[in-house]
Amino acid sequence: MTTTPTPPHSLRTAPEPDTVPDPPPGAPALHETDGHQPLRRDGDLLLTGRAQFVDDIAPRGLLHAAILRSPHPHAVIRGVDASRARAREEVEVVLTGADAVDLATPLPHFFEPSIVGCRTTEFRCLAVDRVRWVGEPVAAVVASSLAEAEAALADIVVDYEPLPAVLDADEALRDDAPVLFEEWGDNRLGLFPFAEGDAAGKIAAAPHVVRDELRVGRQHVAPMETRGYVAQWEPGGRLTLWASTQNPHPLRTNLATTLGVPEDRVRVVATRMGGGFGHKFNGYGEEPLVCLLSRLADAPVKWIETRKDCLLVGAREFTHRFEVGFDDDGVVLGLADRIVGNIGCLAPWGGWSMTFPAGMTFPGPYRIADYAIESVPVVTNKAPWNGFRGYGKEQAAMALERIMDLIAEHRGIDPAEVRRRNFIPPEAFPFWTAAKHLDSGEYAAALDKALALAGYDALRARQEAARAQGRHLGVGIGFELTPEGGDFAGSFVRGFDTSTVRVHPSGAVSVLTGVTSPGTGNETSIAHLVAREFGIAVEAVGVTQGDTDACPYGFGNFTSRSLATGGAAAVLAARELRERMADAASALLDADAAAFDFRDGAVVSRTDPETSLTFAELAETIYRRGLAAPGLDQPLLEVTRIDLPHNFHHVPDEQGRFSAYPSFPYSAHVALVEVDAETGVVELLEYSAIDDCGVVVSPTFVAGQLYGAIAQGIGGALWEEVPYGEDGAPEAETFKHYLTPRAPDLPTIRLQHQHTPSPFTLLGTKGAGESGVGGAMAALLNAVNDGLRPLGVHAHRVPLTPPVVLDAIVSGGAS
Amino acid sequence: MTAVEPRADSDAVPDRDLALTVNGRRRRVRVEDRQLLVDVLRDNLGMTGTHIGCAGGDCGACTVRMDGQITKSCLVLAASAEGADITTIEGYSPRGTLDHVQQAFWDLDAFQCGFCLPGHLFAVRDLLDRDPDPGEDDIREALRGNLCRCTGYVNLVAAAGEAARREREDQER
Repeated sequence: MTTTPTPPHSLRTAPEPDTVPDPPPGAPALHETDGHQPLRRDGDLLLTGRAQFVDDIAPRGLLHAAILRSPHPHAVIRGVDASRARAREEVEVVLTGADAVDLATPLPHFFEPSIVGCRTTEFRCLAVDRVRWVGEPVAAVVASSLAEAEAALADIVVDYEPLPAVLDADEALRDDAPVLFEEWGDNRLGLFPFAEGDAAGKIAAAPHVVRDELRVGRQHVAPMETRGYVAQWEPGGRLTLWASTQNPHPLRTNLATTLGVPEDRVRVVATRMGGGFGHKFNGYGEEPLVCLLSRLADAPVKWIETRKDCLLVGAREFTHRFEVGFDDDGVVLGLADRIVGNIGCLAPWGGWSMTFPAGMTFPGPYRIADYAIESVPVVTNKAPWNGFRGYGKEQAAMALERIMDLIAEHRGIDPAEVRRRNFIPPEAFPFWTAAKHLDSGEYAAALDKALALAGYDALRARQEAARAQGRHLGVGIGFELTPEGGDFAGSFVRGFDTSTVRVHPSGAVSVLTGVTSPGTGNETSIAHLVAREFGIAVEAVGVTQGDTDACPYGFGNFTSRSLATGGAAAVLAARELRERMADAASALLDADAAAFDFRDGAVVSRTDPETSLTFAELAETIYRRGLAAPGLDQPLLEVTRIDLPHNFHHVPDEQGRFSAYPSFPYSAHVALVEVDAETGVVELLEYSAIDDCGVVVSPTFVAGQLYGAIAQGIGGALWEEVPYGEDGAPEAETFKHYLTPRAPDLPTIRLQHQHTPSPFTLLGTKGAGESGVGGAMAALLNAVNDGLRPLGVHAHRVPLTPPVVLDAIVSGGAS
Repeated sequence: MTAVEPRADSDAVPDRDLALTVNGRRRRVRVEDRQLLVDVLRDNLGMTGTHIGCAGGDCGACTVRMDGQITKSCLVLAASAEGADITTIEGYSPRGTLDHVQQAFWDLDAFQCGFCLPGHLFAVRDLLDRDPDPGEDDIREALRGNLCRCTGYVNLVAAAGEAARREREDQER
């Protein structure tokens, strides 16, 4: 089957909003207000061990589940004999895939592949007749303790007939490769093409051409808290699932479908999250499975993902084969990159779709008229992906930035200068590419600030001096464009969200929102925004997230959208309430409603400061006297709003261009490394970065997320990989093998900011949270290669572990 | 060590009574011999502030202070902790108060999701008890056994230095 190289149909059928919201009258601009940022909410609970995570939920009578997983990368299940496990005294329930078929429907996809023109198939919560990856759930046991449940797994006998497996994406694309899903005929999930102009022609005619390959190994998110679920059914048939999930409402919808329960009788409570980064997007089989087990056991059941199981979930295994034509000055004339993503086995979890932004993000911050990018997701017998911060956008950053450095090397021009010559200039915004409508940007300014912060010229001088001593210092630049806030109609990956604001008679304010926090602080920022609207103390504003019984329907946490969507919705709701309250104040105080300020906990007449009510007095009066007093004719102090649409272009224009992402933050990075040419060990010595995510609500939280993203990028560039053995099993099962950065591995990251507001969003914000991963990966990749330059070799295999670097040195850079 | 009394039922999991002091209180619990200290603290004693990130000694989220030593409680069999004096994150500072390390962590935004936090607090506290004026490298080295995936350690390191500064300032008063 050939997939069609057109934009996904749903992107074409969705509405076409492109409004620039007017700032509401009287609203203070963010930068005009207090420099004071509230401390992180619930910090005291976290600091004293009193915050509750999912594993801390323990309803009375709690039982524990363990899951039997496939030891084979590909096999037919001929039969499962669970009789011995069932006979164990402590065992309450044993469930096999065959048992579960009648109890649960196939699982809805987090992101249904057919929405974007890809192939698809059905999955169940336990494998029924075939397994396609080591670790695929096959059966589950519930017992009085986790130890007993795990012990009983050994008593389940599965009769497997092993089948040939394929682990490598290139091999999986061969005609003779084992096919994972026979109905597809081959292993290609789809094809995402992104092109403008005539790349092939321009490259063929270019005076200079570089062709090369870049490989990125399989990586993993590694949140400190793994996934977990606790399910409990009430006697009346109501289900509660406590879940460490990034998408409580879509999870509830999908549970209702899978389990055949009316949606209103399912409550999902997203517990405080110990890090998400994409690992906790919904769609996992364990979600309905734990609910089923609880129903069968007639008791609450808990399942907590082990670290080994957590490490099964993959991401980022890509190969780039690129070709670039450029002129004498290093200006790009034509660019092509064929990207292959080894997505492991397809699964209902969302990660495979990282192959979409991996291509869409091209040509990044650069003005390249002629380019042809293809991104091809390929299924293999590795475990499936889920999301990983960066979501494929880091791939474009690595390839583009490597290309810039290769051009610089070829032409003998400074790498920073090559970038300046290719950037989209500030006056060209908003700027169209094949699949992006870029909002605003001052790219060269950000790069120059990063160079200044890093002391770039001094770094080059140090490098020269070190080279004279035979030491291999490398300086690397990475520039990252990060499309954020994506909206994919037909899925639950939506670009808007919902918030309710409720003013209580006491003057206390509740915000109930559909966005959730993975621990980054958006609850604090949302409270801050709403408190500003009402002129009250931030402590008077409570924020509830993640409880589907309490919050309006929302889509949760992904693609750095929480403040632009849930935050903006809360601001709009608060403004509507403020108008109602001003009307009431006007009636009570006999003054013009438009002439009231909300400040310092009071509603104050602008013309006569003596004419005022406290915010609490006004709220209580509206509740006590509404509909009974003249002018108090709207006593409802609760408003639910969604954020305004901003910069989505779902319907392709006459040139076929569309834009599913509304917001385009960016960042510039400079790294200094030393490469030990004898051992291949890379030491990161210095790191500087500039970020620009438009208007910033909470500078501390934006910086904190950037530090974390940069550290994840550094880890991905230098150390993090899940290799697979020839037996088809992953070899990294603990943090002894999967090497995320530790404190002594990193220098202090120097970070400064630039603010180029988005003209399209309510607050001028752009997404914040994901930015930094790709820039860091690119900067490190370039720094190591810069260090190796005197040796005349390139290292184009990420992570740049000592064996990879040594291999590059020894083999002369052959990939 | 308490002797294990074999029971008639050979399938029965061996267990024992264990006496501990946890956060200053004497506690007596019945534990299975195979139970890890972290599980006993969390499940038997309700000290859920001690977190399990890896159950293999790699991440440090389960750190407690045991007889004066910071210890990864996922690497300790509960049965070996007879008579031990244990401080968990719940008892790290007197209830209702934050010490300089905790307050500096909050003020400088040294944590995000907070899951790894107990380990980092204990590691910094342990460092400052030994060295009131540590340099950046000393702090980073003291945190080597504790993983964080949110912060890149930048604010963590800064907060440790700030806590040290505040404590020295207190001393000089």
